[in-house]
Amino acid sequence: MTTIKVSTGVLTNVDGSSQFECRDTKVLCAVTGPVEPKARQELPTRLALEVVVRPAKGVPNTREKLMEDRLRAVLTPLIVCSKYPRQLCQITCQILEAGEDEGEFSQKELSCCINAAFLALIDAQLALHSFSSSVSLAVLKESGELVLNPTGDLLKVSLSAHTLALELTDGSKKVANVLLLDSNGDFTDAQLLKVLQVGEQGCLEQAQFMRNFLAAKITDEIVRTKVNDNGN
Amino acid sequence: MAKDIEISTSEAQFILEALKQNGRLDGRSFDQFRDVEISFGREYGDVTVKMGNTKVQCRISCQIAQPYEDRPFEGLFLISTESSPMAGPQFENGNNTGEDEVLCARIIEKAVRRSGALDVEGLCIVAGSKCWAVRADVHFLDCDGGFIDASCVAVMTALLHFKKPDISVLGDRVTVHPVDEREPVSLGILHIPICVTFSFFNPQDTEENIKGDSNSEIAIIDATLKEELLRDGTLTVTLNKNREVVQVSKAGGLPMDALSLMENCHKAYTITERLTEQILDVIKKDDAERNKYATLLSSENARET
Amino acid sequence: MSRLEIYSPEGLRLDGRRWNELRRFECSINTHSHAADGSSYLEQGNNKVITLVKGPQEPSSRSQVDTAKALLRISVNITKFSKTERSKTSHKNERRVLEMQTALVRTFNKNVMLNVYPRTLINIEVHVLQQDGGIMGSLINGITLALIDAGIAMYDYISGVSVGLYDTTPLLDTNSLEENAMSTVTLGVVGKTEKLSLLLVEDKIPLDRLENVLAIGIAGTHRIRDLMDKELRKRAEKRVANALSR
Repeated sequence: MTTIKVSTGVLTNVDGSSQFECRDTKVLCAVTGPVEPKARQELPTRLALEVVVRPAKGVPNTREKLMEDRLRAVLTPLIVCSKYPRQLCQITCQILEAGEDEGEFSQKELSCCINAAFLALIDAQLALHSFSSSVSLAVLKESGELVLNPTGDLLKVSLSAHTLALELTDGSKKVANVLLLDSNGDFTDAQLLKVLQVGEQGCLEQAQFMRNFLAAKITDEIVRTKVNDNGN
Repeated sequence: MAKDIEISTSEAQFILEALKQNGRLDGRSFDQFRDVEISFGREYGDVTVKMGNTKVQCRISCQIAQPYEDRPFEGLFLISTESSPMAGPQFENGNNTGEDEVLCARIIEKAVRRSGALDVEGLCIVAGSKCWAVRADVHFLDCDGGFIDASCVAVMTALLHFKKPDISVLGDRVTVHPVDEREPVSLGILHIPICVTFSFFNPQDTEENIKGDSNSEIAIIDATLKEELLRDGTLTVTLNKNREVVQVSKAGGLPMDALSLMENCHKAYTITERLTEQILDVIKKDDAERNKYATLLSSENARET
Repeated sequence: MSRLEIYSPEGLRLDGRRWNELRRFECSINTHSHAADGSSYLEQGNNKVITLVKGPQEPSSRSQVDTAKALLRISVNITKFSKTERSKTSHKNERRVLEMQTALVRTFNKNVMLNVYPRTLINIEVHVLQQDGGIMGSLINGITLALIDAGIAMYDYISGVSVGLYDTTPLLDTNSLEENAMSTVTLGVVGKTEKLSLLLVEDKIPLDRLENVLAIGIAGTHRIRDLMDKELRKRAEKRVANALSR
């Protein structure tokens, strides 16, 4: 499996935060919510989402807007929005290291944003329907080889690049839904099926890693509070 | 810096009472600067600065652009300081017209850009038609006071750390050499400005402050967020190692005696000296780390001159 | 550009002043008695500033209501024709102007007794008709005068001036030619004290010279305070005489 680095609860002034690092891409995400929204953001029956993606360099433009839109589309079905009517949740992703040519690609950043945002939502203790996990993939030009979570250099020599986000059930062992499949470049339907297959495997493994991380963190926190209780 | 977050009356009174008795919540003395932690990212010009819970990232990038018509020999340099709700709920997304945001942006601008910390003439490639446009993106990640001071350190460290690709000019043709082909070159940094922010508190009533001679106002260095929320006035002094005042901003607030302000400036100088040293030191260490194998790969002969 | 002699060996500046001399300072209050509750017109050298104070009045929106004190709002309008060359853009919402407004509000927040006017709004408009360096100081002086004219309670005068440093000589009350040629310091001083409400340095100045510059600046602001005071008293006497003769 690709080595990923995860940490949550990294920021102090927000309700939930996480940092997700996958190869040369690093994203920091902050979640504030549920909070009182401005009048124009308010939805009478459900939680409103304010999703912001901020690039590592330069001003946010249409590329970031598109990523925000994708991210919102992935997160909306995951959050139990009806539980928080007339409330707002702000999700801010700051890309710390893009790890890809920002002029051409956004796949790696997007998949990291999805994972970071999901972990930050868990850290903020918002009600979620199910677990999710996202990976990026690339089909290389010469060999036609399919790479899971490619590096920025490999993306440059790829024929097509994909972002996959899956909703998982059954202890994150089964795929419930495809939340997002975003593909760019030339590819055949056989290749796309292969992407789904390899991506699914990658997502499941990554989900287990994330679950283990969260479990370890929670146990650690519970044990620590217990020790404190005994101490006092 | 904060509009929406409020501090409870009891906590406010506790902090102010503690200050009157020479105490701060985090146990620092009044003129103690928090420890500054500087770390680098993978690429050149990616710096994260931590001061207590305050966390600021600065990212330098560059591209080739056309210089301004009235300044054909100068490159472009822009510092962008945009806040997002990430740093705290008091920051609104895309709204940088708040009083504190404007002041913060202006002070960094004056401290770094206006003072000529970056040699913009060195960014010129072909006079009048091509130059480097250097951009510093400051990201506020976490806020616990002292944004100006932390951002200034971050921007300066990042500028010192950044390397732009080497170029060669043949007539009007400019070749940019990729980093793996030719060693990239550092930017020309002319001096290192360091900002130190003081926060003022008035332990007595307003009349004593304005008419009295006691001058018993309290000045603390490097306030945390809670202290920033409660302060009556602020002063940001920017100095460099050459004993030059680069910028001073005391935009209103509690009237302070001129002599005590001068005293503050002198206190800031010792901090400036120390921080400058620290910045140069971490840059050197990182450079050595990155070029571990440079001597091995070098084909230079040990020549006698 | 031709080399200008900023400070001649004989000790004369471009406009014939000595190092410690202020520019022509003329002011009047109650200039726009129908338009505002307090107003002033100030000429400091070639700086020409109109200040209007409206209030304390009822705030137009609920968000501006503070139950403990009055809300002070200052808007600075730098006209397009205020410099020799007409500027293409209106300076509204420029960061520089926003910064000036913030600095002014924070300066006067601490000096006006806002707590005696709870639930009200004090709106100050400043129009810069002409500018020739050291504008921040002129704005402070204009606002002080207009606030006094409006009868709003203050602790003391605030007077502002800018001081340049030419080599080692401080030059009081700089004009725009001098301002472009050297670093300047802007001060806002409370009354006859040595307390600085505002202190802005925008360019490099040796740390060890700063004290000198501040000293001459404070002396300058005290002089300006006296000039403003004289004008106000003259005005008041006239009013009393008018009232008595009726």
